[in-house]
Amino acid sequence: MSGTGGRGWRCWWGAIGQHGAVSAAIEAVELTRSFPSGVALDGLTLSVDRGEVLAPLGPNGAGKTTTVRLLNGILRPDRGRARVLGVDPAVDGDAVRRRTGVLTEHAGLDERLTARENLELTARMRGIDWAAAARRSTELLERFGMADRADVAVQGTSTGQRKRLALARALLHDPDVLFLDEPTSGLDPAATRDVIELIGSLAAEHGRTVVLCTHFLGEAGRLADRMAVLHRGVLHAFGRPEDIAAELWDGLDARLDVGGPLGDDAARALREVPGVSGLAPLPEGAMVRVADREVLPRLVRVLVARGVPVYGADARPPSLEDVYFAVEARIAAQETAVASPTAPRAAPEAAR
Amino acid sequence: MTTADPAAPAAARPPEPARVRRARWAVIRAIVAKDLIAVRRAKAVVIPMLAVPVLLMVVLPFGVGLAARGQDGGTDLRRILDSMPGDLAEPILSLPQHEQLVVLVNGYLLAPLFLIVPLMVSAVLAADAFAGEKERKTLESLLHLPIPDRDLFVAKLLTAFLPAVAVSWIGFAAFCLVANGVAWPVMHRVFVPTQLWLVMIFWLGPAVAMLGLAVMVRVSARTRTAQEANQLGGAVILPLIFLSVGQASGILLVTLPVALAIGAAVWALALVLVRGGMKRFTRDRLAARV
Repeated sequence: MSGTGGRGWRCWWGAIGQHGAVSAAIEAVELTRSFPSGVALDGLTLSVDRGEVLAPLGPNGAGKTTTVRLLNGILRPDRGRARVLGVDPAVDGDAVRRRTGVLTEHAGLDERLTARENLELTARMRGIDWAAAARRSTELLERFGMADRADVAVQGTSTGQRKRLALARALLHDPDVLFLDEPTSGLDPAATRDVIELIGSLAAEHGRTVVLCTHFLGEAGRLADRMAVLHRGVLHAFGRPEDIAAELWDGLDARLDVGGPLGDDAARALREVPGVSGLAPLPEGAMVRVADREVLPRLVRVLVARGVPVYGADARPPSLEDVYFAVEARIAAQETAVASPTAPRAAPEAAR
Repeated sequence: MTTADPAAPAAARPPEPARVRRARWAVIRAIVAKDLIAVRRAKAVVIPMLAVPVLLMVVLPFGVGLAARGQDGGTDLRRILDSMPGDLAEPILSLPQHEQLVVLVNGYLLAPLFLIVPLMVSAVLAADAFAGEKERKTLESLLHLPIPDRDLFVAKLLTAFLPAVAVSWIGFAAFCLVANGVAWPVMHRVFVPTQLWLVMIFWLGPAVAMLGLAVMVRVSARTRTAQEANQLGGAVILPLIFLSVGQASGILLVTLPVALAIGAAVWALALVLVRGGMKRFTRDRLAARV
């Protein structure tokens, strides 16, 4: 299910407890962390199943990176607790980190070393012996299309190649959980597509759990099973995009293409069809809010009966992007309401 | 998951098996190797780090040796020696005049300056190892590895300490060869190293390296770049250099036990500072400043 605000998650915690022991790769309860500059994460409660791709979304400063750092045990929470693969990262961070791989926002490669040296030495730092480190590095360099750049210093490689190399480094020990923090930031469109395809294939391997922090909604929409919308450290929505959408909106938007503006009679007739809750004109026809896709054939029949040609009728479920912006609009409306209680509330509709 | 509770007091924890200890040292060696390979390729770090030792340990004794060989009957150093403490001047004045320049410079004046080498090398490398990781944005990915904080700290410490000691020892060997070799036509004997020189190089030098390192660990925690760390560290280390030079000048005039005791005091101060640095070296603290 989706949330209705950061504080609405307490009731949901019971569900984590019930199924968490069986399938959850990551659990967080009331995870909170502050810095001198302010609260970075405030009461985060969520659960990620094994093999699932979760996309924490939000603008800069939302708390995505802090979440990764807390879950991987490099920051300690002020309050709350977490379990990653059954281990509390605040208690035994090394045990967690042995089974997780992280791609940080900045690739974090030593530019003075070659691609191969970066991989081999990181493998050694993970306790992998030299022979296995060399073998695994070669495998990954080939898989990630870096074999021809293996012995070139990283400072001579492109941003896309560095991201791929950093991704390869995160996979040296075949982790069960992969944290990816802004994996496509700074990449051109072609490199972005390459990296997204790689992440998609990694997520499909061995039931690996992936936490994909991003503010690029396209990649999240393609890869994520569930989304978590964070804003100023507070979780505002969590769940499958369609579930969150069901809370935000009743029904679906259907686009009717009649080759031109819809006449008043036709529009009135459509509004009277059972299951239609709204209609907005478009240059090529209308956008109609319907209860479900079964209403569409009835709309087409009504138009055809009036001699209106129908070139297309498409009920589009809301995308992750639609949902995200609707949640953001709701957050903005809530903040406006708090700042000025008399101000009119913005509806999620505005964001869609 | 490991069975030992890392939060438990050390005394309550079971002893670490030798296999685990070996594995941890292998990881520490890997970190040191990575850092040293990287440093070796950074000309901006290597050139200043090697220039001073080469100047002090090779060029200067070479020049002094040549100067002594070029002076028939030797240089009159009486005016300089008269202004020096009597205990230092007397043994030099008792030497034949043609030996005095070589013994004064190579045997006495250069000795305290040698302490700059381990101090400087350790400070430069420590700035690169600690603040440099932040500057290159490689610190976070290092923190995400399954390496205990203590091992990470030890690795970083060794990254700076081992080369500092190695450079000063190799440099000292080079100094002995050059000083004795070039001055052989004048001296006709091996005159360095002396016993007190050995104390300085093998006991006080490493202590000073550790002291510089301890200072830079503290400084690096407060800076964002290696350059900032070097600048701030320089402000702290320069007085230490002058203090060291002063101390070392004194050491050459004191007995062996006193020299050893002074070395022990520097070691103690360095280790106290390192211990404090280690306590403050936690992932949480580092990650909060990334």
